[in-house]
Amino acid sequence: MADVVPKERKILVAVDEGEESMYALSWCLKNVISQNSKDTLILLYAKPPRAVYSALDGTGSRSHLQGYLFSADILATMEKYSNDVAACVIEKAKRMCREQADEVEVRVESGDPRDVICQVAEKINADVLVMGSHGYGLIKRAFLGSVSNHCAQNVKCPVLIVKKPKCSSSGTK
Amino acid sequence: MRAMVGIDESDESFYALQWFLDNLFPDLSAALSAGLLTLVHVQQPFQPYGFPAARPGVAAFYPSTVVADSVRKSQEQTSAALLSRALQMCKDKLIKAESLILEGDPKDMLCEISEQMNVDLLIVGSRGLGKIKRAFLGSVSDYCAHHAKCPTLIVKPPKEASNNK
Repeated sequence: MADVVPKERKILVAVDEGEESMYALSWCLKNVISQNSKDTLILLYAKPPRAVYSALDGTGSRSHLQGYLFSADILATMEKYSNDVAACVIEKAKRMCREQADEVEVRVESGDPRDVICQVAEKINADVLVMGSHGYGLIKRAFLGSVSNHCAQNVKCPVLIVKKPKCSSSGTK
Repeated sequence: MRAMVGIDESDESFYALQWFLDNLFPDLSAALSAGLLTLVHVQQPFQPYGFPAARPGVAAFYPSTVVADSVRKSQEQTSAALLSRALQMCKDKLIKAESLILEGDPKDMLCEISEQMNVDLLIVGSRGLGKIKRAFLGSVSDYCAHHAKCPTLIVKPPKEASNNK
């Protein structure tokens, strides 16, 4: 074949707690990344913002005590829980990547996944964004919103949306 | 793996094809099964009625078969030209490609054909419509991303004059 120049690409993979994003990551590892390519894989986990009303403050920092409905203890526990979930997800993802022995970078940001993913993709100038899709139907999507939809529209780089095949309809290669 | 690229008249789909050929797989012909890429062009079905009439008071009239035939032929020529341009791009990269012309609504046909042919990756361009246009015109890339059973790659053209940089 002609010269196969290993391209250095930045592949941003958005992970969350769901199975679909893990499937997307494994698909990406299996198909997109090969042995001789110098790709940097960046795993991004967006910690959903705490569902606590915090008046007028988008970052959720503790500037306005009046908005808080819970005591500090409960907040600390919630914070710890979300950090634990993040660590768990990242660990699972890293374990998958270890087999490929890629250069893996991990980022954990907090905020609405849609915005976080778009911002990070722009900041690091990713070459491809890979994400899973929950596969919601129309109604669920209308209520819950679709992160993959939003990102596909707003991010500047090419987006690869990987859906987990339902049951065992089509055999994967 | 089987890859399929959706082609239409827009530049964005050609950009998507070019990007896919250049960037996604470092060694593309080895990655593609049988080294084959499928290019699909979906034609809007030709509606043989309802031409805007110059004469007022005429709701719709059925054009003669001559007119219908010539429009169909010109459509075929356009798709053939598009696909040959796309095939040429693949040939430049030493990738074998086959082409397919379908008729119907692009969204549905792309999803259907990707399922029928057991495609592993579907590549589409995106016209980058804003929210309002998207609501009225519909977005093929959005529809495919959500309804196709296989992974979908949506490639957007880079904004030359980007206003938010």
